[in-house]
Amino acid sequence: MSARDATVIARTVSRIVFPLILLTAFALLLQGHNRPGGGFIAGVLTAVAFALLMIIFGFDYIEDEILGRDMDDTRAAALTIVTDNSLVFALGLALAVGSGLVAMAFGLPFLTQTVVFLHDLPVYHELELASAFVFDLGVYLVVVGALLTVLTVVGAE
Amino acid sequence: MVGRPGSGGIAFTLAQAGTDPAATALFAALGLPFLAALLVPLVHRALGERTAWFAALVALVSFGLVASQYGAQGAVTLPWIPTLGISLTLYLDGLSLLISLLASGVGVLIFTYSAGYMHDEPGKARYYATLLAFMGSMLGVALASDLIALFVFWELTSITSFGLVGHYRDSESAQSAARQALIVTVSGGLFMLVGFILLAYASEVAFGTPTFTLIGGPDSMIANADAMRTALRETGLFLPVLGLVALGAAAKSAQVPLHFWLPSAMEAPTPVSAFLHSATMVKAGVFLVGRTRPLLTGEEWMVLFASLGLLTMTVTAIRALGATDIKELLAYSTASHLGLITAGFGFTNQLGAETGAFHILNHALFKATLFLVAGIIAHEAGTRALDELGGLRHDLPLVGVITAIAALGMAGVPPFNGFYSKELLFEAAYETAHELGGLAWTFPVVAVVGSVFTFLYSIRFLWLFMGAKPDSLGEVHSPSYALVAPPAVLAGLAMVVGIDPQLAVDAIVQSAFASTVAGEAHSMSVYLPTYLSPAVAMSAVTIAAGIALSPFYDRLHDGVRWLSRGPATATWWYDGAVVGLEHASAVSLPRLQTGRFRTAAVWLLGSTVVLVLTGYAAAGVSLPAFTGLSITAPVVVILAVAVLAAAAIGIAPSHVAGVLTLSILGFMVALFFVLASAPDLALTQLVVETLVLVIFLLVLDKLPAFYGEASRSNVVRDAVLAAGVGLTVCLTVLVATAPSPDTIAGFFVETAPLPEGGGGGNIVNVILVDFRAFDTLGEISVVAMAAVSVITLIAMRGRGESS
Repeated sequence: MSARDATVIARTVSRIVFPLILLTAFALLLQGHNRPGGGFIAGVLTAVAFALLMIIFGFDYIEDEILGRDMDDTRAAALTIVTDNSLVFALGLALAVGSGLVAMAFGLPFLTQTVVFLHDLPVYHELELASAFVFDLGVYLVVVGALLTVLTVVGAE
Repeated sequence: MVGRPGSGGIAFTLAQAGTDPAATALFAALGLPFLAALLVPLVHRALGERTAWFAALVALVSFGLVASQYGAQGAVTLPWIPTLGISLTLYLDGLSLLISLLASGVGVLIFTYSAGYMHDEPGKARYYATLLAFMGSMLGVALASDLIALFVFWELTSITSFGLVGHYRDSESAQSAARQALIVTVSGGLFMLVGFILLAYASEVAFGTPTFTLIGGPDSMIANADAMRTALRETGLFLPVLGLVALGAAAKSAQVPLHFWLPSAMEAPTPVSAFLHSATMVKAGVFLVGRTRPLLTGEEWMVLFASLGLLTMTVTAIRALGATDIKELLAYSTASHLGLITAGFGFTNQLGAETGAFHILNHALFKATLFLVAGIIAHEAGTRALDELGGLRHDLPLVGVITAIAALGMAGVPPFNGFYSKELLFEAAYETAHELGGLAWTFPVVAVVGSVFTFLYSIRFLWLFMGAKPDSLGEVHSPSYALVAPPAVLAGLAMVVGIDPQLAVDAIVQSAFASTVAGEAHSMSVYLPTYLSPAVAMSAVTIAAGIALSPFYDRLHDGVRWLSRGPATATWWYDGAVVGLEHASAVSLPRLQTGRFRTAAVWLLGSTVVLVLTGYAAAGVSLPAFTGLSITAPVVVILAVAVLAAAAIGIAPSHVAGVLTLSILGFMVALFFVLASAPDLALTQLVVETLVLVIFLLVLDKLPAFYGEASRSNVVRDAVLAAGVGLTVCLTVLVATAPSPDTIAGFFVETAPLPEGGGGGNIVNVILVDFRAFDTLGEISVVAMAAVSVITLIAMRGRGESS
């Protein structure tokens, strides 16, 4: 699980694959309302991408190179990541609940959703802006945060 | 409003003359103590010692609110769980008025007394808050007409009294007494709940729609008591309901053999004992007996409650002779008098109901007085041991007078208050015996025997003030006014009842009595007997035997103490049961929980399988027929690979190989989803499968690479377990996904472009974020919670130990 175990091939492939997975996940999140996808699966996919990084490069790498923090102690590093991740799922939960509360501000039942269509756009031609997307984004963040928490905690053991 | 004596045969009762009570007054009286309990921490910070006066004021307001509804009768309702027919219905009639006036009125005196008594005690804010909440719960028990509301308040009294009995946190015996009281009264309450649910079921049989309303309104159970009894008998539930309700009442009112918690509960501060164990909590049980009397009365009722009550009365009166501590004596005596009330309600003639209703009042008056006196003695003389006390009249003359009034009332000596209700019991027992003959003659005999012992211990208590003062007894201080005033008020009331019992009867007892009678209640009249009736003769025998036996009190005391050891006492059985349970769990736990994951999994999965399969068998679940089943070649191939993979997991040589094979199974399932036109599900399955694989690999990194050799028995056990789990899951899926005629899928497909106006082409996602967004919110909350648990369980594991 640390950097020295991974082969060059594994390191190189993960470097290339990591952004691709994130991109796919993001696409799944965006198209969820109309085609297969959605917040949950996009969240799991994102978590998989980070899990790959952790397995191949280890925590220290993520701390030093991605987050730009200097950590000496692996355990302390893991705990910092845990804190960050818990912030992510807390934010997600707040977003999901908040999107429901907005509907109440308009005098509608909790979690009522609506949609707006934008027409005649370049490239897209027609874009659907569903309020459900905000809720879905909340789901996404909760899943990402929670799964990464579990991964880092279990991984640090 | 109240039947006058001699108004000619049939009296008119509250039911006909009453007006509806004011809803605001009743709900305010009930809610105020709870609100005040919440405020106590703040009040205590501001007022300190004077919190007692605040609490007394609250009790006084509640008392005033209830008293303002004097003469009213009827129900007021607040919706609670309308879908289940449960409401917060308060019903006021004579009986609930009596109990709630006792709870709030004695409450005022107890809080006043606490101001003097709790001066140097710890945890005063907690004490006053709990006592206020307790008073509110007791008012709730008295007023609730809905059975579920009654149950909730009933258990609330148990829980708050748990806090009060265990008030002295450092005392091991107080803690164990509190636990004992909680276990006995709460478990009794749970039996009672089952009885209530059966009653609701019977009401469905009787009226077509189930109701939880016990009394009040034309649809209540008591208003249709005959129909309810018929329904109960037809369904064969009459005896179970009677037994379950009796169990709840007996546990709360400390009836034999569940009486043992009451003497133990004397670990509580004395004002608490005076309140809970004389005027309120233990009265809840006899209140329930009185309340359900019109509904369940009959031959079985009489046999059960008259026997139980008289037995309790006699056994605990004898135990009171063996008491060495004044509070212990009073505690056994309380159980004894509760037995008297239960026996009274048990007799099906109207005299019995008169006994119960009148003695509830009388007992509260004299027993609360005596408890408060016991508190004064303990406070001022520094001891509660009977042997060390005597001649207190020299130092506490006023308290002596108070005690004399109360103790003679307790002894049943004319013309003190307890005499009249005991006389009614004798009459009721005699009438019953006269009517039934044969074995029923035991009732009056036992009643007299029990009363003789009652007389003996009452006189023993009074003797604390007579005789010579022992040399060992030090200086006895004079109590403060706050300590003397409450028992003086109670003794004064007891005196009034003693001198003019008809006044109390007219004021409240008549209507309370009427509430416990099925049908018309006759007008009740109580007076000092002027001619020799059987009951008068029984009283004369009681007093004569009591006086004759009193010189031998010490020998009786020693005899009772010698007899009440080991298996002869209920405490012995309780302790034995508790120790036995502890031992059994200590022995069985190492077998159930070896600390190895494997054992835990075996027990968890095994019990789940057994429970689920038994559940299916009990519910008579039948497998749905397979319809529209089409098997294509690709499906067969994929499922075959999946089965192969499943078989391969069992023989995988290492963890990594096992996990990889498991993944094959998972991916095959994903492919199956693709073929079954569920792309969303397939996508999720694929990604989750990948993630699970990753997590497994992370964990496996730290595990030894190879399995150990498994014994043959283990392999067989695991195979059986695996087959069982597989069967259960398969059955569950088949049963749960059985196509129902009006499938909900059609609705989703039709309404799918949601929100209205388009969008939302993916039904799965639309269901998740639109139709069932609240579910999804719940699910992500669970996910978040799981992550938080992981953090607390694992990431923080080292911190607590190291710091």
